[in-house]
Amino acid sequence: MKRRVVRGDSERPVAWSMDLLRQIRESALDPDYKAVGKHINPSRWRWPLVAVALVLGLVVAVQGWYTYKASPDTASERDQLISRIRAADKTNDDLRAQQVALEQQITDLQKKQADTTTQAQLDAQGAVSGGTAVTGPGMVIVVDDAQGTNAAQVTDEDLRQLVNGAWEAGAEGIAINGHRLTTRTSIRSAGSAITVDYRSLLRPYRIEAIGDPKTLPARFANTPGGAWWADAKNNYGLAYDVSTSESLTLPADPGLTVTAARKP
Amino acid sequence: MFAILALLIGIALGIWLEPSLPAGLTTYLPIMIVAALDALFGALRAWFDGTFSDRVFAVSFFSNVLIAALIVFIGDQIGVGSQLSTAVVVVLGIRIFTNAAAIRRAIFHA
Repeated sequence: MKRRVVRGDSERPVAWSMDLLRQIRESALDPDYKAVGKHINPSRWRWPLVAVALVLGLVVAVQGWYTYKASPDTASERDQLISRIRAADKTNDDLRAQQVALEQQITDLQKKQADTTTQAQLDAQGAVSGGTAVTGPGMVIVVDDAQGTNAAQVTDEDLRQLVNGAWEAGAEGIAINGHRLTTRTSIRSAGSAITVDYRSLLRPYRIEAIGDPKTLPARFANTPGGAWWADAKNNYGLAYDVSTSESLTLPADPGLTVTAARKP
Repeated sequence: MFAILALLIGIALGIWLEPSLPAGLTTYLPIMIVAALDALFGALRAWFDGTFSDRVFAVSFFSNVLIAALIVFIGDQIGVGSQLSTAVVVVLGIRIFTNAAAIRRAIFHA
């Protein structure tokens, strides 16, 4: 049987890793100081200190300068990105406004062309599909995140439940924060924001639904969407406020065109 | 006195030279600074022990800095990236703390 080797025996250390750490600690001071230190006349060796100080200053200064220079770079990059996002948002809004104006022109031209029956059909179908702006009495639901830090937040799923509940309750037209919902409107989340029709919403979320104000809120409360939100309000503290209005105006969704679909 | 003057000259030189230095150097600088700090703390401890020597200080300083840069360079070349520099930082970090503890004992006797 082999002899168990004690700590510090150079022949065969007990644990290599511990020996490594011990070696680092014990040789922390350069051993040369002990070996050489006493025999050197200090006055003859001033220049090494000067050289060391020079290099030390150089290295630290360069590194410090790099770090100092790098920080405004990231800040300005961030500012640039933000301004680019703002510009893209503005372009998007401008294009939508242009689209709305063009749709209006199309409607006006249609009115000149079509006879009254066709025009009545167009109006009715536009109101149903969301292609034209509509006005009428209805229900307004305002929802928002819960108060406090790390509190529950409204998710895209919450809004989908709410909107589906409102359709089920008999709403004839719905808009979220002024974005008209159609069969082709998506409600999704992108990052921490909820998007409707790929445009980000700012909280609080205001859902306007046109329908009979006498029956709509009660019928909505009986839908799965209403139950979902009663639960969210009671258990997670989300703000959820239902009211009625005598006159709501919902804008048209300008994106309601088809390019590939044809009448069979 | 000359050493302090040289330190200031070095700082001025560093700021003046910076734009003309290649960008590839930036990866070497942090590890070189850690190596320089290790040499500095070693020198301070030796000074308190009464065994300080300019020559040993200069040799250990330059060899530390050069080897640190060399290790980063090799790490880059063989593709282990920053892992070799992590090893250097761990070893030098332990040494710095050990020396700092010795210096503390020398100053405060605690």
